[in-house]
Amino acid sequence: MEIEFQRVGKKYESGQEALSQVSFHLQQGEMAFLTGHSGAGKSTLMKLMMMIERQTSGQILVDGVDLRTLSRRAIPHHRRRVGVVFQNHQLLLDRSVFHNVALPLLVSGADPQQIAKRVRAALDKVGLLDKEKYYPMALSGGEQQRVGIARAVVNKPQLLLADEPTGNLDPKLSAEIMNLFQEFNRVGVTVLVASHDLALVARMRHRVLTLNQGRMVNDGGFG
Amino acid sequence: MAQKPNQRGATRESIKATKHNWPTRTSFSPSKYFRQHQTTLTESFMRLVHYPLASVMTVMVIAIALSLPGGLYVLLKNVQSVTDQWEQQSVITLYLFPNLEDTQALALSHRLSAQADIASVEYISKEEGLRYFERSSGYEQIMSALPENPLPIVLRVIPRQTVDITTLSSLQALRNQLAAQKEVEYAELDAQWLQRLANILSFGQRFVYALSVLLVVAVLLIVGNTIRMAVESRRDEVLVMKLVGATDAYIRRPFLYMGFWFGVLGGFFASLCILVLSWWVSAPAERLIDLYQSGFQLQTFNADEIILCLTISAFIGVFGAWIAVNRHIATIELQ
Ligand SMILES: Nc1ncnc2c1ncn2[C@@H]1O[C@H](COP(=O)(O)OP(=O)(O)O)[C@@H](O)[C@H]1O
Ligand SMILES: [Mg+2]
Repeated sequence: MEIEFQRVGKKYESGQEALSQVSFHLQQGEMAFLTGHSGAGKSTLMKLMMMIERQTSGQILVDGVDLRTLSRRAIPHHRRRVGVVFQNHQLLLDRSVFHNVALPLLVSGADPQQIAKRVRAALDKVGLLDKEKYYPMALSGGEQQRVGIARAVVNKPQLLLADEPTGNLDPKLSAEIMNLFQEFNRVGVTVLVASHDLALVARMRHRVLTLNQGRMVNDGGFG
Repeated sequence: MAQKPNQRGATRESIKATKHNWPTRTSFSPSKYFRQHQTTLTESFMRLVHYPLASVMTVMVIAIALSLPGGLYVLLKNVQSVTDQWEQQSVITLYLFPNLEDTQALALSHRLSAQADIASVEYISKEEGLRYFERSSGYEQIMSALPENPLPIVLRVIPRQTVDITTLSSLQALRNQLAAQKEVEYAELDAQWLQRLANILSFGQRFVYALSVLLVVAVLLIVGNTIRMAVESRRDEVLVMKLVGATDAYIRRPFLYMGFWFGVLGGFFASLCILVLSWWVSAPAERLIDLYQSGFQLQTFNADEIILCLTISAFIGVFGAWIAVNRHIATIELQ
């Protein structure tokens, strides 16, 4: 999936200007990191892509289509093409790992055999095939995060968005998670990862977009 | 935890095979649609079972609320079936104008007896009327004191139909037709007590209707409140579903089914309540009515009425859930 931001601005109803004049272009199959201090607007930028929030100025083009032209009814279909790992939408604790990962497929009405096959494929990818019957509380933090990633990719999304996916994981686990994203990118998925872990981002050797006070201050390689 | 037989090889293959086959938009397919509904139907039922206490309470409150109008309906039905059989010989008394000639009155009498819905007409002349009055004592003095006979000619018309609750209105129509004859000063249908009974029954009917409406509203509120709590308790799930691309209809569906189950189960227990109650009162009620009328059998909910009750209650359940879900899902938005 190809993403283009053209002088995008977002002003919250509170008056807070989270983004202003943000422009960048993410090619199909590209992988990039989004960094910046806390409150720089990273999460806001990802919410705009998911149509959780709407921009107050500028244009966002997804595969050449202006998101403003999508009707309310089209939003779910847009979201099904995007896999997300968001901090505040974690796993459902009263559902098994299998069910959690299956959710995007259930929602789009896939048939049960397909669901089982795809869920196991996704769990296999993140190395948790043997944990499908567990409940999230029985898993470690790193494992939970990986279940979240499996859920994000189970639908074979064209774009993968991850907001601080390594939040409170130790460096070794963080590196593992980042490697996972890299693997998905290798099979053609466009990947954008927000992180304030500059050291980790630098090691990954990918394009880095840096936000400061809602403005894109750096769009370059390797941090 | 048991691990499924090793499927790694197979799943890797399947990932590769469909690697670049991204679906851009899901298309509508009937089989998919039915499968989703079926799954939701069973899942929503399992969810009720998951919260047994709250569900049982809600179902019972609905059952009680519905069995009240249902029971009154059965009661009314029985009263009606009893009173429908109460009949009496009907008589319409025509008081003709006092200045009418005997010949004119006789002509009218003949004309009326030829009418299809009239069995017979009895002619009571002024003299006969006077004799009748004199016989029935008390008036004797007064009558003889009068200079001339003040009584009009009277025709006693016996309609073919006997009068009961069901024929009352057609007899009233006949009375009106007779009253409109130019010779007739006043026509009286002798059916006052039946008229009263009919009034009481129609009052009873309206009472049951009004009560039903009130209780249906109550059931809507009960279902709505339970569904609201269910939505609220599944807030996180609703948010995650929205995030992964669930349509509003998809999110709404399990709650509507929940309302459906509440309605159907409530209706089922209400019907059961009514059946048990009418069985319980049937013996004494039949003995009582038998004193006046032999062969009385207490009527209860029949199959059609049970199905109707279930349908109505299912509909109320879904409708109540629909209102609650629409109001509360809208307040749960991703941010
Ligand atoms: N829903 C909201 N309403 C008002 N202000 C918000 C909202 N969400 C974020 N903000 C503000 O917008 C700015 C950017 O926030 P955010 O995108 O979360 O930054 P980051 O993810 O980089 O930490 C912050 O100043 C934050 O306080
Ligand atoms: Mg953030």
